[in-house]
Amino acid sequence: MVFSSIPFIFFFFPIFLIIYYIIPFKLKNIILLIFSLIFYAWGEPVYILLMIFSSLLDYTCGILLGKYKKKKIRNLILIESIVINLLLLSFFKYSDFLIENINNIFNLNIPLLNLPLPIGISFFTFQTMSYTIDVYKHNVKEEKNFLNFMTYVSMFPQLIAGPIVRYETVHEELEKREINLNNFCNGFARFLTGLFKKVLIANTLGFLWVTILDNFYDFSSLTLFLGVISFSLQIYFDFSGYSDMAIGMGKMLGFNYLENFNYPYISKSITEFWRRWHISLSTFFKDYVYIPLGGNRCSKIKNIRNILIVWALTGFWHGASWNFLIWGVYFGIILILEKFILNKYLEKLPNFFKHIYAILLILIGWLIFSFEDMNMLISFSKRLIGINTAFIASDFFFFIKNYFIIILLGIIFSTPISKILKEKINSAKYKGIYCTMAFIGSIILFIVTISFLVSDTYNPFLYFRF
Amino acid sequence: MEKLNKYISITISLIIITFSIWFILIDKKEFSENEFRYLEKWPTLTFDSFFEGEYIKNLESYFTDHFPLRDNFVALKTKVYYDLGQRLINNVYIANDNFLINKFDKPQNSDKIIDILNKFQANNKDINIEMIISPTSTSIYSNLLPSDSINYSEKDAIDYYYNNLNINTIDIYNALLEQKENYQLFYKTDHHWTTYGAYFAYKKYCEVNNIECYSIEDFNIELVSNEFLGTTYSKIFWNKDSKDEIYAFNLNNSNFTVEYLNKTTNSLYNNEYLNKKDKYSYFLDNNQPLIKITNNNIKNDNEILIIKDSYANTFIPLLANNYKKIHVIDPRYYNLSISEYIKENNINNVLLLYNINNIDNDLGILNIK
Repeated sequence: MVFSSIPFIFFFFPIFLIIYYIIPFKLKNIILLIFSLIFYAWGEPVYILLMIFSSLLDYTCGILLGKYKKKKIRNLILIESIVINLLLLSFFKYSDFLIENINNIFNLNIPLLNLPLPIGISFFTFQTMSYTIDVYKHNVKEEKNFLNFMTYVSMFPQLIAGPIVRYETVHEELEKREINLNNFCNGFARFLTGLFKKVLIANTLGFLWVTILDNFYDFSSLTLFLGVISFSLQIYFDFSGYSDMAIGMGKMLGFNYLENFNYPYISKSITEFWRRWHISLSTFFKDYVYIPLGGNRCSKIKNIRNILIVWALTGFWHGASWNFLIWGVYFGIILILEKFILNKYLEKLPNFFKHIYAILLILIGWLIFSFEDMNMLISFSKRLIGINTAFIASDFFFFIKNYFIIILLGIIFSTPISKILKEKINSAKYKGIYCTMAFIGSIILFIVTISFLVSDTYNPFLYFRF
Repeated sequence: MEKLNKYISITISLIIITFSIWFILIDKKEFSENEFRYLEKWPTLTFDSFFEGEYIKNLESYFTDHFPLRDNFVALKTKVYYDLGQRLINNVYIANDNFLINKFDKPQNSDKIIDILNKFQANNKDINIEMIISPTSTSIYSNLLPSDSINYSEKDAIDYYYNNLNINTIDIYNALLEQKENYQLFYKTDHHWTTYGAYFAYKKYCEVNNIECYSIEDFNIELVSNEFLGTTYSKIFWNKDSKDEIYAFNLNNSNFTVEYLNKTTNSLYNNEYLNKKDKYSYFLDNNQPLIKITNNNIKNDNEILIIKDSYANTFIPLLANNYKKIHVIDPRYYNLSISEYIKENNINNVLLLYNINNIDNDLGILNIK
């Protein structure tokens, strides 16, 4: 089930909330767990067992780590958790990719497994693994209550599309959290923001991208460029919209998740971009891969190696296909270049050029990201720079007329303009007018969102590969 | 700000709960007249359907299909898109003069269909087989489309068929184009041609076959409905005040015997449909697998078989004035061999009549053998 759907908004979530608020605190975690399992089963009934197994594994590891003090045993437990979690992830996510490549290289014909990817496996294996590592490093105490632990792993707001919530962020709230009208309302407002972002902007621009992609052989360069822009906006509004919904729902239940996006498209460098994009993922790799490898506290060569490893993994995490790996390494190389060479020169540039520099590299990144088929990527890119097609033709005018406003809104809302405006107005005398308008606007947007959901045939779930 | 969030949350929560309860209480219709389709039923839970995801998918369609005010919500979405500058919504162009026109994409199955039809001709060597592929409003009224619209050329698509078919083809493209300003040849809210459109196809057909053709003045032209909102309207629910008029062309004293599979009448029309949403089905009682039309006023014994899609339903009532007997087969619903039918009934003339937009997705045409 996706959050942006009629059954979720009108049935699943309200029914859950009513029960959750009525019952005494002691039972709240159990109710949350039960509904999370239903939520998960909605899409992947069989794989519930997998999630339970993964939780049980790391719960046991945590208990054992709490018990044993000897370094050797602790190491063994840690390795066991990491190996099994990664095996699980690799088996379900990467085995077909491996088989395909072995077939290609050795000219074999090993049949593919064609396993459907368990939804959210990339998120929950990372969460359970990070828990064991944190217990190992004495960052947190082990969780003794299995129900609490299982609730943490399966909690439906963040189960399928992140953010990757670490145990240390929520472990206190699993025991004791503030559930009140204020949190409910603030969380709900945040949920709505995410819902609007996903349904009104991401879905609309996603449809534009698919329309262009389906017939890109017929279109001019500028149309393809428009396509890349719309995909870039789609993925941001889709993903950050999901995070907003997750954070908002978390708040309604009394949990405070960390922020996952911070206006990535206003970055002035790629280094900055990755501090603003999918923050929970980049910090995960930083804390659990980059720093243990030695980070930057080692020789330059080793530092470069570490960066490349982290970014190859980050890329590969996004999907079992070469383009994701290339996409990761692409950013790894840019980050290395920025760190050791470019930053000196970039600093001297006016801000305007820094933005252009960053945005262009980000757009090229999304171009690589969006094509799993390398031949398609190459022929698309050729047309993008004007080979085999006109630079501009009537198709571009058609698309720009149809989508100009929505793209413009997308660009505006991917900057903090509205946030800054809100803060300014908050302290000014126009507050009353602003609040009235914001109130009416939200109601209208909500009605429009329902109309999109009721009639929309295009409501994709982008993260099925993660 | 905190207060603002409170007002918003509480109001929207109330809206959600209202719709949830409304949904539960609402009468669940089986068929949506507005959308010309059956709505999703409450799915039955079985082990397989659940684990293959079928159950969940159907359940989600059930929720959107039966949502209260569904039609109004679809209309609202169109309105919002329109205000944002979009003129192509759900593959329908909002064009000038209140025309709602389907987008035309490059056909994908032309070669396959040409192959089937050429085989059909080869199996019936001695039979005179002709084919008409009609354009749609997308090309005939392309001047009304929003500027820079992105369509594949219907003319090119038709020519591709005509150049590769071993069947005699009749080009009606220019015949329609010449008359487009004089008459409304296509419905504004539907993908079909009007009776006028069908008339100029009929005229062209008669010219090519040296048949004496009735002129427009010969017919009693009767306005049978001025309340028609067709399929392109239903895709986007746009501008429900702009309705289409439906005309029927009849000669005085016509005398037909019309045999359907399950009934025999003397009318080429079914008036019941004029009170329903699907008013185009007035012509030839919707799409029937097999119809035999006998014109009792004609003394000769000219017979023809028409293999067709729904475009022919307005065309056949005109041609019925010129033939003693017309056999009509809609291969979407007729599953037996048409070649056998031709032999059994000693038919010498066959006309295939399709429109270029439907033909590519018409599953019936693949059954022709």
